[in-house]
Amino acid sequence: MIRQARAARLVRGLLIAWFVLPVIPVVLWAFANRWPFPDRLPAQFGFDGVRTALRSDAAHALVVSTGLGLAVALLATPAGILAARALTTGKVFAPRLVQAVIFAPLVLPAFAVALGLDVLVLRLHISSTLAVVAILAVAALPYTTSVMRLAFGAYDVGYDEEARTLGASRWVVAVRVQLPLLAPAISGAAFLAFLVGWSDYVVTLLVGGGRLISLPIIVASFASGTGNHSVVALLSIVAVLPPLILLAVVARFRGRRGAQS
Amino acid sequence: MVLPAVVAVTLVVGAALTTAILQSIGLMPLVGQPALSLDGYTAASTDLLTSIRLSLTIAVVSTALAVLVGVTVALMATSGRRLGLAVATFTVPVPHLIGAAAIGLLLADSGFLARLFRLDEGRWPALVGGRWWIAVIAEYTWKESAFIAIVVAGTLASRVAHFDETAILLGAGRIARLRLVTLPLIAPSVLAASTITFTYSLGSYEVAQLLGRAYPEPLAVMSVRLFRSIDLATRPEAAAVAVVTAALSVAVVGVSMIALRRSSVWR
Repeated sequence: MIRQARAARLVRGLLIAWFVLPVIPVVLWAFANRWPFPDRLPAQFGFDGVRTALRSDAAHALVVSTGLGLAVALLATPAGILAARALTTGKVFAPRLVQAVIFAPLVLPAFAVALGLDVLVLRLHISSTLAVVAILAVAALPYTTSVMRLAFGAYDVGYDEEARTLGASRWVVAVRVQLPLLAPAISGAAFLAFLVGWSDYVVTLLVGGGRLISLPIIVASFASGTGNHSVVALLSIVAVLPPLILLAVVARFRGRRGAQS
Repeated sequence: MVLPAVVAVTLVVGAALTTAILQSIGLMPLVGQPALSLDGYTAASTDLLTSIRLSLTIAVVSTALAVLVGVTVALMATSGRRLGLAVATFTVPVPHLIGAAAIGLLLADSGFLARLFRLDEGRWPALVGGRWWIAVIAEYTWKESAFIAIVVAGTLASRVAHFDETAILLGAGRIARLRLVTLPLIAPSVLAASTITFTYSLGSYEVAQLLGRAYPEPLAVMSVRLFRSIDLATRPEAAAVAVVTAALSVAVVGVSMIALRRSSVWR
């Protein structure tokens, strides 16, 4: 029994190390001015990485990435809510086909979709930014729809009926009853959609036409060069912190709501 | 109410696939007259076959490892050890490109692990850009094991607890419970999550581009390289590789959907 417990503890430790290990060199490199090869720790800590990042287009890229994330969330969340609502109430023609269509972007490789559309975008003179947002919003739809489907599936129609019996109009029920009850799920769906826009690389690269410089694009250009470890590490942290903070906010929001109901 | 979603997907995906197919068979050239030909598929057919095999292998290995790690983390979370799952949750918002950069700093010749073990370039195995695509597989496994852990832990939390208690009352031991109760109940969500993982690693570009080697190339890297080449004549080939990748993904998802339909637990 003791040996078994020890083995279990070892596996647990290894699994936690598995998730944490890749983060360690990123954090160290972000603030390392000098870290010659065989040394285990940086020889000199400092802010050279920060300075290089500030000299690059990173600040602008941060704005671009935030804009992409927000635009995708603004488009994909309402569309996902509507689709999920229709799919749960069952008032849909050919529900299986509809579902297959909505989930298709999850199956198809993003690069293939981007590559196919690029030619069309060029020929029809569509704004490349608009095209990137459209492709990413479509890519986010499977996530928003499935989160909202789960939420609608668990939703108790009793609340609506109660409110209607008490004389509330449909509109009042939607705004004062459904919206607050579904708010945690909606925020979760919006978060996932934001992530799709925030994290994308290949669609921005292929369809953005070099004009849309988001954070991943900058990180990739630094990472493919040599000697840029500290700025790559620093920008990686910049690219991960905002969604992490959002995740914490969304999780707290969901937790609080869950405790209330 | 489904209209906005369905119309948007149909427009974007439909247009993308149609143009990709038309380009791949020479009916939509950037310059010159359209002419039907299968050159896009046959021009580099040996390379295409190598890439298919490579991409499938990377996807299979990454998915298998991610399932192993993810399911273990999820099972631990249900037995009260939730730290692993909590740590895994924090990797979800990490973009794959950032994950690739981090894995690079960890596994490269002069990376953190090589420093930790004091192994210089001669003795440290070529994990980044090496023969076995270790760094690429490690990145996919790192991100996707967290995804699978979260999905499976969700299923475990909502479904397994009651069945597990009943099985204990009926006198089932730990191994029997795992084999006869837990695993059959989580099998559908493991299948669904690993299908998503598989198609992602089959069609992903940035990770293999950053951590892989120049030749042979995974499908996405090959396609994007041909697509961005200054030689416009390679466009049909690029489109052909994209069509092949999409077809492979659809086939895999089709098979797994059939398997899911058969399992009665899944609705």
